[in-house]
Amino acid sequence: MKFIHIADIHLGVKPDKDKPWGKERETHSWKAFTEVITKAREEQVQLLLIAGDLFHRQPLLRDLKEVNYQFSRIPKTQVVMIAGNHDHLSPNSYFRTFSWGENVHFLKEERMDTVELQSLRVRVYGLSYWHRELREHLYDNLQVKRDEYANILLGHGGDEKHIPFRTSELEMKGFDYVAMGHIHKPMELAADKVIMAGALQPVDCNDTGEHGYFMGELEGHVCNVKFYPLRYCEYVSLNLKVSKDVATGELKEVIAEQIKKSPAYQLFKVNLTGFSDPEAPLDLEALTGMERVVQVIDNCRPDYDLEKLQAQFDQQIIGRYIAALEKLPQNEITKRALYYGVEALLAE
Amino acid sequence: MKITEIQIKNFGKLHNINIRPLPGINVIYGENETGKSTLQQFIRGMLFGIEKQRGRAGKNDSYQQYEPWNSNSYYAGGLRFTVDGKPFLLERNFYHKEKSVKLVNEKDLEELSVEHGDLEMLLGGMSKETYENTFCISQACVETKKEFADVLQNYFVNASLGGDGGVNLSGARRRLKEGQKAADQKYREKVQERKEEEERLLLEEKLLKKDIEQLKKQQKDGYKSFLEKNQNLIPPEPDINQMAEYLRNIRQQREQQKYDRRFGISLFFMTVGLLLGIWNCAAHLFSNPAPGWIGLEVFTVILCLVGIGGVYYWHRRSKQLKILRRKQEEETKELMQYTSREREQQRYKEQQEKQARQRAVEEMLQIQLLEKQAELMNLREELEECRVLTPEELEYEHQVRAYELAYHTLEQLSQEAYQDTRAQMEQEISRILSELTNGKYTKIGLDAQMNLVTTEGKRRLHPWQLSQGTMEQMYMALRMGAGGFFTREESMPILLDEVFVSFDEKRLEGALQWLGKQKQQIFLFTCQKREMEILERNGIPFGKIMLSR
Repeated sequence: MKFIHIADIHLGVKPDKDKPWGKERETHSWKAFTEVITKAREEQVQLLLIAGDLFHRQPLLRDLKEVNYQFSRIPKTQVVMIAGNHDHLSPNSYFRTFSWGENVHFLKEERMDTVELQSLRVRVYGLSYWHRELREHLYDNLQVKRDEYANILLGHGGDEKHIPFRTSELEMKGFDYVAMGHIHKPMELAADKVIMAGALQPVDCNDTGEHGYFMGELEGHVCNVKFYPLRYCEYVSLNLKVSKDVATGELKEVIAEQIKKSPAYQLFKVNLTGFSDPEAPLDLEALTGMERVVQVIDNCRPDYDLEKLQAQFDQQIIGRYIAALEKLPQNEITKRALYYGVEALLAE
Repeated sequence: MKITEIQIKNFGKLHNINIRPLPGINVIYGENETGKSTLQQFIRGMLFGIEKQRGRAGKNDSYQQYEPWNSNSYYAGGLRFTVDGKPFLLERNFYHKEKSVKLVNEKDLEELSVEHGDLEMLLGGMSKETYENTFCISQACVETKKEFADVLQNYFVNASLGGDGGVNLSGARRRLKEGQKAADQKYREKVQERKEEEERLLLEEKLLKKDIEQLKKQQKDGYKSFLEKNQNLIPPEPDINQMAEYLRNIRQQREQQKYDRRFGISLFFMTVGLLLGIWNCAAHLFSNPAPGWIGLEVFTVILCLVGIGGVYYWHRRSKQLKILRRKQEEETKELMQYTSREREQQRYKEQQEKQARQRAVEEMLQIQLLEKQAELMNLREELEECRVLTPEELEYEHQVRAYELAYHTLEQLSQEAYQDTRAQMEQEISRILSELTNGKYTKIGLDAQMNLVTTEGKRRLHPWQLSQGTMEQMYMALRMGAGGFFTREESMPILLDEVFVSFDEKRLEGALQWLGKQKQQIFLFTCQKREMEILERNGIPFGKIMLSR
């Protein structure tokens, strides 16, 4: 049996709203979803598993209709889905009462439920979120029926606030395949067995790296899956080590060149490390305004040799200042304060 | 440093004056306007230079104040002094277009460079600012200036931390404050952006809520009015034209009556004709007929015939009309029956339609309501997301807090660091004050802002709360005490310009006695003779320099 496993499609999400490409990004979730449906038709996929967060927020009727239409394009494919934390079933939602096409099986119970697909000899376990958070370890105490049916768990969660679970435990349960969602990074938690599908496309710029869907075969109790990337958008971390004598303009050129070399669907998160010149700090706003740059993170440290300074000004104010701040619990603020103070003292 | 010769070439009102002061106390005596302050300013100017300021700011600066009266381009003088026993000659041309300064070690005739800080070194690193706040007291200016607080703090920190004096604490603090302000500004800007977005969302939420309210209201009663409105649009039911029927009926009734009347008349004629004929026939058959009998007979026959014809005709007409009317009546009845049935059917159908429409409207309203509610929920989620600080804001917030932390750490460290030095200085000032006041005030200190405070009994007193004389004594003590600290390596001459004006005899004596014990060179500018009298009375040696107009 051929199946596709997707999760966290986040239909309707609007990433990079304040960027020039924001409008384009709005369309990606739908385009990617449609592409998966088309793929399912072309590949004659028999089962489509959607592991929650199909919608970014509460779906409106028109969204549901559109999705139902997409499902109607693959009448021979059985679709099994659950609601995740983002599109949880709220009492007011049409999501709860919408009548889906015949091939769609929506496991909308709050407690573990199953659907048996006779034609495929497959049983899918799953539950839906009715609230935004669900801290209970609901996947821990599952009893899996042992018969000629293949057993699949369709789940959503994996962090503290959303059904925490341990891969090793899930592996032991006796499922033939565990189709998870919620964590946006695609991961084979256990090879060919427990798969975190990851977001179909990145939802915000923190979802770096490749995104896509898993497609595989489940024959009897043997499963094989493979990751297929979709490339409407991909966020890439661009780590640059700067030195004291790098000027903003120079840095811009380097970044622009790097971006020019890369495929058009990639957007960049620039991460600056190394040492900056405390006298002439880099113009981060100019870098942030560059084409295809989503974010600039400045992790540069001013170019001070603190040890040397401390030795040089041992009993003087600078030495004492460094010692006093290094004694404090180290965090983002104390680190900065250290540099600000040293800079101010040395400048005068 | 001891000044051995003052050579005024041209400075303010003073020209070509040569003064050789003593190493100890020098009283410069002169009446008003003899140039005492000018002389003091000359010494200061020689040691630290005089800068001509540009523009309006320069209107009242020292340069113009002491510009020579007779010629503004010849503006110069010289100063001989010894430092550590070595003799030096310092010559300056103050004229701004030919400004020059020359420093020569007179022992080996080596020319030193003022630009490279050789003079500064000879002055023990003391700045003009510090000098003017310690040993150099101008007329009516015994109070120290605000910036002296910074000078003191920096001194304390550098002195106590044994550095090379390179750190400017107040400058560093100012830098940190500026940094904090800039970061705070950016932080606020970003917050403002987010707030605007939030406002927009809130407005949208308000509109959505209003929509929902309206939909709920419509659900309650709105669709009824919607339906009623539609009912008015249904055309009135088609009906039989009752008016026409009524009119036709009346007309036919009248016609009937007309026919009946005419039928009666004809019947009457026929009867009369018949009777007349019978009577005529009988009379003439049995008696002799009168002449013209036949004529009468003919007349009666005609009459009779007309009557019969009339009766027959009108009777027929009347009968026809009756049949017509009956038929019409039946037709009308049938028609009426038919329309009422149809109307019933139609009414039923309409009711059905109405119900369907009502259901459709209700459903539509329900859908709209649910949609709006879902939208509202999504909007609220978006609002919640919008209320979280963005990474940029977080970044700027961190910056602000880091600047604050840096500032306070520096403040705390410097306070901690200079406690010892400060205590020493306070001790020294207190000692001087005690001597100056003959033990009346024995304790004086500096608060965190480097303001003077003293205690009398249990009260903390600031100088301005005391008498002018006492206040001046305190500042005098501060200046002399602090000055001592700044000039540990090389002492500087003390310049006192009419400082003791508000001192009474006793205080003045105390002050002069204290001055007499100092090793430094002292210039005492006065327009009174009492200083000299007291010095003489106390057996304190001094040099006398008389200035006259």
